[in-house]
Amino acid sequence: MPGYLRLATALAVFSSAPLQAAADMPLGSTPAGDPYGGAAARTVKAIMEYARWNERRDPLVLCVAGSARHAAQLGGWRMADGRQVQRRNVAASVSALGGCDVLYLGQLAIPAQRQLTAAVRGRGVLTIAEADPGNSSEAMFALAYQPNALSFRLNIDAVSRSGLRIDPRVLRVAKGGS
Amino acid sequence: MAPKPANKLPTLRDLLARAHLRLILFTVVLASASLMLSGVLVIRAYAQRNLELMARTVAYTVEPAVVFQDRQAIMDGMTSVGAARGIDRLEVCDPAGKTLARWDRPHADLRGRVVSTANALIWPEPARADVTQGNTAIARVKVYGNSGGILRYLLAATVIALTCMGLTVLATRILARRLQNEVIAPLDHVAEVAHAVRQERAFEKRVPASGIAEIDRFGQDFNALLAELQGCQAGFTSENAELQRRAPHDGLTGLGNRALFDQKLAEAVAESQRSSTAFALLYLDVDRFKQVNDLFGHSSGDAALIAVGERLRGAIRHIDAVFRLGGDEFSVVLAPLFNRAHVDGMVERIRAAMQEPFRLPNGQLATASLSVGVAVFPEDGTDAEQLLSRADAAMYRDKQNRHQAGPEGTQDDA
Repeated sequence: MPGYLRLATALAVFSSAPLQAAADMPLGSTPAGDPYGGAAARTVKAIMEYARWNERRDPLVLCVAGSARHAAQLGGWRMADGRQVQRRNVAASVSALGGCDVLYLGQLAIPAQRQLTAAVRGRGVLTIAEADPGNSSEAMFALAYQPNALSFRLNIDAVSRSGLRIDPRVLRVAKGGS
Repeated sequence: MAPKPANKLPTLRDLLARAHLRLILFTVVLASASLMLSGVLVIRAYAQRNLELMARTVAYTVEPAVVFQDRQAIMDGMTSVGAARGIDRLEVCDPAGKTLARWDRPHADLRGRVVSTANALIWPEPARADVTQGNTAIARVKVYGNSGGILRYLLAATVIALTCMGLTVLATRILARRLQNEVIAPLDHVAEVAHAVRQERAFEKRVPASGIAEIDRFGQDFNALLAELQGCQAGFTSENAELQRRAPHDGLTGLGNRALFDQKLAEAVAESQRSSTAFALLYLDVDRFKQVNDLFGHSSGDAALIAVGERLRGAIRHIDAVFRLGGDEFSVVLAPLFNRAHVDGMVERIRAAMQEPFRLPNGQLATASLSVGVAVFPEDGTDAEQLLSRADAAMYRDKQNRHQAGPEGTQDDA
């Protein structure tokens, strides 16, 4: 598909220029008292839309590791190309990650997050951190919370070493990266 | 140059110049109009494809921004593309038709308004492209064209066309001048020659060769005609001169005739009255001329008259004048510088001159004698008639005296 660059090369192009500040995913309705639940679900789904695995995976397995605060609406989706998304809640341990295509990191301590991201590095697993305000989890994407909106940051280094291809256009939408 | 006709007919040069101008202007207008039209159509076709490409590019660029519902990112993506020329407005709408983001090329001045009007004419419909995710359209991009490029092309083409027309007018002038040199100048030569022939009787003029076959043929015929005219004219001229010389003169003796005598005598009277001078009139008659005629024939009489005329002419001064009045009568007007003795001296000189013999047609020599009457202005009369009758009377007296003294006749001098 045109436009999908290997991020190893994209890295050289984009890391020198500061990423554009992106406005925020509007929060929308929040049924369960979680103001970010809907926005987090839409953001995660949109990120998944722009990720390409080396081989087609259907259904996509979305693993939610640890206890998550904004993950209530994750999963049960149908992607634009028709693939199903299965949600699986897993324990925050390396041994529990088999079969995961997407790893959503819940409210975990940074060392625990780093352990998990290190475990799936280079294996074609999309990593998204829910609680990583300092960009230190080494997850590919980290949700960023603003008073009325939700955005995300992109860790280009993590992306380039993930074994996945991310549509470079997502860079324009990301808020910033490490 | 030939004189201009009163009703100001167009010259050949004008006609040719006008025909050239029309032809070339027509060509230039036709060529520029067709070039402009085809140029506009081609540019518009390319621009249309460009707009469609732009629409697809924008759709591709803003797709993630639409997915992430990030309006600022949509705007940024659009602006990066929309900065390109040839785009007047970019719009991204959601499937319901609600505008998500919109970018307009800024224009407010008069030129902007002209461009907007032209935009609406040239691009009534925007180019469209869908933003899709999988098979679902999640937004639609509309790209409205900017006619600035086409208008600039039209302006440039118009300037070029006008320049061409200016050059055309110049070229027409030059062509007309050339034509005048090559075609009209030879014709003008013919006209000049014809004019000179008519005005100045310059029949010796000829039309020079022009180097154009038709005009040369015309010129040759014209020259031949002129040569004939010149011949005729020469004949007429010499005949006229002869007639003019002959009219007031006597055909036989070449002396002034009666008409010329009347004129000269009147002039002499008028002149003498004005200047209060005197002049003398001699009236002369050949003695026994009728007998000579009868005896020896008319040819001998003519010979005698010719001889008398010659001797009279020889006897007088060059300021005097001798006339043959008719038959055997002659007259001399003596110019005013004399007294009576002077007049008698002149008469003696005439008589002496008559002593010289002349040869008759039959070979005989003969002499003639004259009877002479004198009248002097103003003593004998103050007008021509008086003078003439006095002189006539005096002549008769002289003739009778001489008859009584003893007739003199034709001397046989065998």
